[in-house]
Amino acid sequence: MRREFCKIISNFRVANNVYKMVIESKSISKEALPGQFLHIKPSQNYDPLLRRPISICDLDQDKGGITLLYRVCGKGTRLFAEIKPGDNLDIIGPLGKGFPIFQNKKSAIIGGGIGIAPLLILSKWLKEADIYLGYKDETYMTDEFMNYSDDVCIYTESGSRGTKGYPIEALEKNINRYDIVYACGPKQMLRAIKRLCEKNLVECYLSMEERMGCGIGACLVCACESSNNDEYKKVCIDGPVFNSKEVNLDD
Amino acid sequence: MIDMTVNIGGRRLKNPVLVSSGTFGFGKEYSNFYDFNLLGAITVKGITLKPRKGNKPPRIMETSAGILNSVGLENPGLYSFIENELPFLKKYSVPIIANISGNTIEEYSLMAKELNEHVDFIELNVSCPNVKEGGITFGTKPESVYEVTREVRKVTNIPLIVKLSPNVTDIGEMALAAENAGADCISLINTLMGMAIDIYNRKPFFNNVVAGLSGPAVKPIALRMVWQVAQKVNIPIIGMGGISNWQDAIEFMMAGADAISIGTANFYNPLAPKEVLEGIKEYMIENGINDLREIKINGGVK
Repeated sequence: MRREFCKIISNFRVANNVYKMVIESKSISKEALPGQFLHIKPSQNYDPLLRRPISICDLDQDKGGITLLYRVCGKGTRLFAEIKPGDNLDIIGPLGKGFPIFQNKKSAIIGGGIGIAPLLILSKWLKEADIYLGYKDETYMTDEFMNYSDDVCIYTESGSRGTKGYPIEALEKNINRYDIVYACGPKQMLRAIKRLCEKNLVECYLSMEERMGCGIGACLVCACESSNNDEYKKVCIDGPVFNSKEVNLDD
Repeated sequence: MIDMTVNIGGRRLKNPVLVSSGTFGFGKEYSNFYDFNLLGAITVKGITLKPRKGNKPPRIMETSAGILNSVGLENPGLYSFIENELPFLKKYSVPIIANISGNTIEEYSLMAKELNEHVDFIELNVSCPNVKEGGITFGTKPESVYEVTREVRKVTNIPLIVKLSPNVTDIGEMALAAENAGADCISLINTLMGMAIDIYNRKPFFNNVVAGLSGPAVKPIALRMVWQVAQKVNIPIIGMGGISNWQDAIEFMMAGADAISIGTANFYNPLAPKEVLEGIKEYMIENGINDLREIKINGGVK
């Protein structure tokens, strides 16, 4: 983990409000693991003040390229979208605990919306996972997933592309094929996946999101309910990837 | 050779740059960024006698140039702190300030007694806005500031700092009460009580309704309060509240602070304390200031 000013290689829109940014850092890309994130300062001014945690979407460890996929949803990400190639960004990373990688286990990867971001690099590293992607309407990054897996199922809520519906419906049918499920997406989706996997005794890893401060475990604000009632887990250091049994997603 | 040392309650700090309670964990997290021995002192995360789970999330909301937090003193408790957290910090020579909160005066006293041998300073937190009991309830009346400070003073012989809340009508009165009760130093300010509303659900954003505001947005208020306290007391002052760079730090010293503490800035710039320290040093050299004390009021503000 280090703090570095990284050069922006490219930054463009891939769908409505969704952007793909490639930054350059040999050292961070070498250290990074699937599921980890970068903590990025959107502005050198005091407004917005805090860094933004953004998942690592892909890595080119030879060239030092790090791909980030982000959705514009507030002040900070709106500033990210304005960044031009050649600019620099103040970055701390790689941070957090990533996905545990098991070879020789039959894996499913399931993502919803912008939650697909950390799953691309995971599918690259896992090589032969089955992939279930869900979107509201517009799809993005599906070709990239197809580069890493022969089995990519696409679902949209609107039915505009792929199968109409939610990816968990397909995962549910196939759940007995898998030793392990990796997921990232809206909390509601993660809750359903956790329930499905635990009911079928399938190991399950969830990448979680929470409002974050320091990103390194000092400020204690990114608390999430854990299965141990005496303590909260911190998404930045205990996660963002958790074994489903570690966290409590009930409201 | 410039002299940046600060004397607090008979204990010498090698420079005036500290880090604030609750923004620096128990140290470990920041040890990747620079050598702690550069710092004047480290104030560790606020501790209570028993472990505290802290408040139900959400715990943070960004505001214009600031943050609202509602952590609620999550900590492993006094004895786990001594056993599991302190050994790491003891590897450094940097002085350690333990920040303590109690539900009762007896709890404050017990904690101070137990910590007396283990840390270099005790900071009495009578100003946390995020817990129902303790904390701020001791810090909003001069009589109770006086009483808790006097009782803790009896059981500890290491320097005693009292951290004041800005959520009062006259902070000078609180500072004076602490001084009269035997405090060695005043630190200020803790967070300002604030609020945020989720307009779509028509509900307060935080479960506790109110939360603590910090960051650059509060700096002018903190500076004014340091100034007010400096008019009232003769003991040293640790100034804090939105300090983000060395220029802010110099302002606080000119307003009357003997030392300054970096809080929220640690969250977005983990190197802030080191940069502030270097900036103060350069400012002193450029302006021919040999002794830090010259920056303070009369030497500083004309």
